[in-house]
Amino acid sequence: MTLNRYIAAIVISLLVLPAILISYRVISLGYPLFPATPERVWQISLDARISGPADGATAIIALPSYKQGITLLEEKITEGPLDFSLQTEGQNRYAIWSGATEHEGTPVSYSATFIAKSRYPAPAAAAVNSYPEGVDRAEQTLAEKLVSDKKTLSFTERIKAIAPAATGNWDTSRLRAEDLEKWSVIQNRLGSVKALLVLFRAAGLQSNMVEGLALEENVSSKTDTWIEVWTGTSWQIIMPETGIIHQRTGAFLPLTRFGMPAVRSINGEVSDVRWSLNRQIISQWGIQNERVGSSDRLLNRWSLFRLPPQFQNTFRILILVPLGALIVCVLRNIVGFPTFGIFMPVLMALAFRNTGLLAGLGIFAAVLLIGYLVRNSIDKLRLLLVPRLSVILTLVISCFIFFALVGNKLGVREFMAIGLLPFVILTLTIERFHIIIEEQGILEALRTSAGSAAVATITYIIIQLEPLQLTFFVYPELLFAVMALQTLLGRYTGYRLMELFRFRQLGESNEPKNL
Amino acid sequence: MNLRTFNALGKRGVLGINCRNSEYIMRSNPRSAFPLVDNKVLTKRLADKFDIPVPPVYHLIEHHGDIHKLEAKIAGKPDFVVKPARGAGGKGIILVADRQADNFVTPGGTILSKADLDFHISDILSGIYSLSGLDDTAIIEALLHPAPVFAQVTYAGVPDIRVVVYRGVPMMSMVRLPTRASDGKANLHRGAIAAGIEITSGKTLTAVYHSAVITHHPDTGNPVGNIQVPYWERMLLIAASAFDMTGLGYIGVDMVIDSERGPVLLELNARPGLAIQIANLDGLRRRLDLIEAAPAAIFATAETRVSWAMQTFGASRQ
Repeated sequence: MTLNRYIAAIVISLLVLPAILISYRVISLGYPLFPATPERVWQISLDARISGPADGATAIIALPSYKQGITLLEEKITEGPLDFSLQTEGQNRYAIWSGATEHEGTPVSYSATFIAKSRYPAPAAAAVNSYPEGVDRAEQTLAEKLVSDKKTLSFTERIKAIAPAATGNWDTSRLRAEDLEKWSVIQNRLGSVKALLVLFRAAGLQSNMVEGLALEENVSSKTDTWIEVWTGTSWQIIMPETGIIHQRTGAFLPLTRFGMPAVRSINGEVSDVRWSLNRQIISQWGIQNERVGSSDRLLNRWSLFRLPPQFQNTFRILILVPLGALIVCVLRNIVGFPTFGIFMPVLMALAFRNTGLLAGLGIFAAVLLIGYLVRNSIDKLRLLLVPRLSVILTLVISCFIFFALVGNKLGVREFMAIGLLPFVILTLTIERFHIIIEEQGILEALRTSAGSAAVATITYIIIQLEPLQLTFFVYPELLFAVMALQTLLGRYTGYRLMELFRFRQLGESNEPKNL
Repeated sequence: MNLRTFNALGKRGVLGINCRNSEYIMRSNPRSAFPLVDNKVLTKRLADKFDIPVPPVYHLIEHHGDIHKLEAKIAGKPDFVVKPARGAGGKGIILVADRQADNFVTPGGTILSKADLDFHISDILSGIYSLSGLDDTAIIEALLHPAPVFAQVTYAGVPDIRVVVYRGVPMMSMVRLPTRASDGKANLHRGAIAAGIEITSGKTLTAVYHSAVITHHPDTGNPVGNIQVPYWERMLLIAASAFDMTGLGYIGVDMVIDSERGPVLLELNARPGLAIQIANLDGLRRRLDLIEAAPAAIFATAETRVSWAMQTFGASRQ
């Protein structure tokens, strides 16, 4: 059927468009796929003092970099009187301060907020790297001999088998004592980090020496050094002093790889180095805001986060209202449940944000009841339609005032927020309620009320879901997907659930009932 | 209420409201033709052009200022009907069967004062009963006196016959019979009963009361089935020509059999309800499919469509 094909094309485009936009944002702009999952935001700050001879000093200090597997949100650098530049070497990134320093040293500082990722990026090439400098051929041969039996193991098992060598724990049954003795001499000469690195490389494992900081709230004057080993699917971190293996690379912040020192100086010295790490408590909204706000990419410049904050709040809610409409579609066209008006429950749900759900429903029911009683009694007055609705409107407003004053006396905030209920909708609902009772009976009126309350409640719960708000706010293109669902519902020509009940006589064997 | 009923309804060819709206009403009923059926004044004018009998109009009231003129127009007419031109589902209709001094008496015995009636007309003009809430016109027309054919199975009020027509072919029919519960009104949700009428023979079948299938009238206790509807073919012809009149492919045609005039067109409905399927214990879907598959020749005139329908649409039950 051509119409259905046409609809299918529209629905698919409405689904593909957000999919493309979201993938682009995730892959190219580094957006989180699920913006609402809690992330670990840290603040790192570095303070140091640079001093040197009169002709100038140069200090090179490693900075966190997105290439090391983190997401940088915000960076601040104070250069003072020194020249400052940034330099990237492979995965490493350095801040370079240079120039004439004061007598007692020139203070410099750097701070950044970043999100630690649970995984580091995979290595650029799968090749096993060469031995570090200063390890001679004989030492290499010995290392290879010591780990030769481990080469049959899987990468992960191999790491597990070699790591204990950091503390001198060898499987002595197979190895000759004199080899081990020779190795411990080498270990002393190379240092524990380099020695362990040599063993991993001898065993055919891609491994690097990394200098960085363990992610814990701490202030320290020096960085840590560890070894990372690639298992083929992820990095593992091995502490060279203890041989302890960490699976969670996210617990560490690498600063430099490949044995480059994190802090060095040319012509002068860097003193009073102080790294401090703090867990940053900033809301998810704040994280997204910073991520988007600091970028000049087109989609970031056209993000809802660029709106002034006082307007953002409105859109946080509005952006979920289409979901409420979707629920109305489902309830009316698939379930077949009646509601007052089409979108009246959605407006109710919006109003409930100020009064709270239960208070809101209660107040609504109370005003509806009072309104109905009055509407019923003024029926005898034979008022024309428009003046009659005006009278009910005035009554509704009077009820609001009464509730607000009572709320004020009793200190019930929900009652005072009543003024935000949609009074026009309430007025029309009273009239509608009266007409339904007159024409179709109280049962139908109650059914319609129940339907409206149900939609209002579901919509209220949905628009209050902060993770959902955030997700739609970050990815407003999701509205196209909502539209796709609405379009599909618009072509649902099957039975409504209520019809299964209504036409049950036609479904069953139908023996006429004799009266 | 489970998947099995879902399938059973499908097998029975029951038409659901979603399917009716999207596959039939939206497809066959041009929006531009809706005013012709939504406004009964227009419907009456159109019917006159096609020589289809309608209840004679005594007076039309369009402005509040004209309400006082009613008196003169109904002088000497003991009974009449007040109805909104744009009303739906029988809303806002008042039947006056008799007059006592200055008061009006409905068929159910309720007494209305002149002021009551004026107020009601004023409500109609304000658009209370109108589909879109627009200002409306009040129609004052002759009260029909139903032929006695359904007298045994009617509790007060006027029974009306609905024929649902697709592409000009009458495909299903029912008669709505007022009950005590429905207060003389022929509206199903108020408790009137509806008996299916076999298209081939014009004979009534079983009836539906609320949603139960019954064989006897709940008030009179008389059997509702096997009543031969008089003028049956003529009624089907009126129903079939409603399509030519309006251009609406899917339409409900409501008629009353008047004791003097015979079948009279009461109103047309561009969104006829689905309860007719329960009254006939049969789904509309199969009949719709048959009409869609019918040879083009049968659509030539109202007569050919009716004769094809009378050969095709027998009762589904054995």
